[in-house]
Amino acid sequence: MTAVVSVPPSLDERSFEGFATDLAQVPADAARVLLDAHATEWASPFGLAALLCAGQALGDRHGRRALLTVPADRDVAHYWARAGFFAEAEALFELHGAVPRARQPSESAVLLEVTPVRVAADVHRVVDRIQERAAAILTTGLGLEPKATLGFGMALSEACQNIVEHAGTGGWVAVQAYTWRRRLGRRVVVIAAADAGVGFRHTLEPTQAKRFGDRWGDGAALEAALIQGVSRFRDPGRGQGLRGIRNVVDRWGGKIAIRSGTARIAIIPAWDEDVPLKEGLAAFPGAQLQVVVPEAERPAP
Amino acid sequence: MIAEIDVRAVLSRSGCEFHSDLVTRSTGRAVRSGIEAHLQEHPDVSVVVLDFSAVRVLDCSCADEVVAQLLRRSAPGAGGPAAFLVLRGLDEVHADQIDQVLRRQDLALVAEERGGGRRLLGRVGELTRAAWERVARRGSAAAEDVASELACSLDDARDALDELVGRRLVTRAADQYFPLPAA
Repeated sequence: MTAVVSVPPSLDERSFEGFATDLAQVPADAARVLLDAHATEWASPFGLAALLCAGQALGDRHGRRALLTVPADRDVAHYWARAGFFAEAEALFELHGAVPRARQPSESAVLLEVTPVRVAADVHRVVDRIQERAAAILTTGLGLEPKATLGFGMALSEACQNIVEHAGTGGWVAVQAYTWRRRLGRRVVVIAAADAGVGFRHTLEPTQAKRFGDRWGDGAALEAALIQGVSRFRDPGRGQGLRGIRNVVDRWGGKIAIRSGTARIAIIPAWDEDVPLKEGLAAFPGAQLQVVVPEAERPAP
Repeated sequence: MIAEIDVRAVLSRSGCEFHSDLVTRSTGRAVRSGIEAHLQEHPDVSVVVLDFSAVRVLDCSCADEVVAQLLRRSAPGAGGPAAFLVLRGLDEVHADQIDQVLRRQDLALVAEERGGGRRLLGRVGELTRAAWERVARRGSAAAEDVASELACSLDDARDALDELVGRRLVTRAADQYFPLPAA
């Protein structure tokens, strides 16, 4: 029996929850799993990276690659190709449908294609590439200070290092710029870094579970990491990466959200109506981080 | 003796010649090892000036490995190279990054920003920071000068200045306190 899970028409960190719920209901003994993206019309960097995580998790769970139908809309499929999605998906999915040839991303919206992150050298490559591409969009496009590129590089580096140091497996990072018309009415740059590894709760359990007692779980683990800056290492110098990201994101009025296991935590700016902590979500492996940097508010004329 | 160390050059010599950014913990460890090896070869060095002018991106993990760990290991009794540490050529973004990393560990050091201004990065008490600022601005000061300028007791001024000496943020000769040399 093949279990079919529909990929939402618009796949982002919000609609991902419905997708994750459907995915969690796939029977463990399903012979194959088909992720049906034929009607998908748009995917955020978070959506693309999380879809790869789903592919990896399904492969681990069922012992064979899941099936993925390519978006039927040619423009959408081409965009996914330019965003580097199919180059990574080929190893994780049996792809069905016409996969466009990947071309160099001429589109400025794709600041960083979906890029695998496994070792420290990958982090260097990512930071190096983003410096050149992000400078113009951050300063001219978003109206941030010229030095913002350095802070952006730092945030990206720390997001990637979370994967290298804590996931126990590889992951992916992607960066895109686009306009959030309905949610914000401004341009944003979005970083997504996702893995299907062990997740925050597993990582922090040996050092933090006792401290939290009955409250211990995915939500408490995220709270410990993002709010309290704790790490699995006892060295006081550790656990500063997420705090560093928070500092620069706060400075730009941005947003950071992390989903891990069955919980999701967010530091919410004034322009957003998200909730700080959600628990009891559908289980999904690893950790998925999203950073949103909005265009600076221009003074009224 | 003062040793000036170009951190970007150490990065290149540490097997990271293809990278221009101080990012990742492993890179930080490699750079710190390079600096410590240099200091072991030059045991007469009393002040180490780490020059960040050519560094582009610096992340928290690397700042911790290069700066905070070096500072902790160079503290009296820590077993590392016993030298005063000064940072130079910091971009404002780098300085803020290092400041956060040091604060978290109750550490502090003197930094010279790219514009030439000096500032104390990390966590120190209000009076101690004010005392450091007076010494840095005057070029030298006695406890009496600091007490007078800050309108505090002589004992408080002396305690603050001695704390700065103990944390290797100023030097002392007889009853005068001096900012760290960096040239």
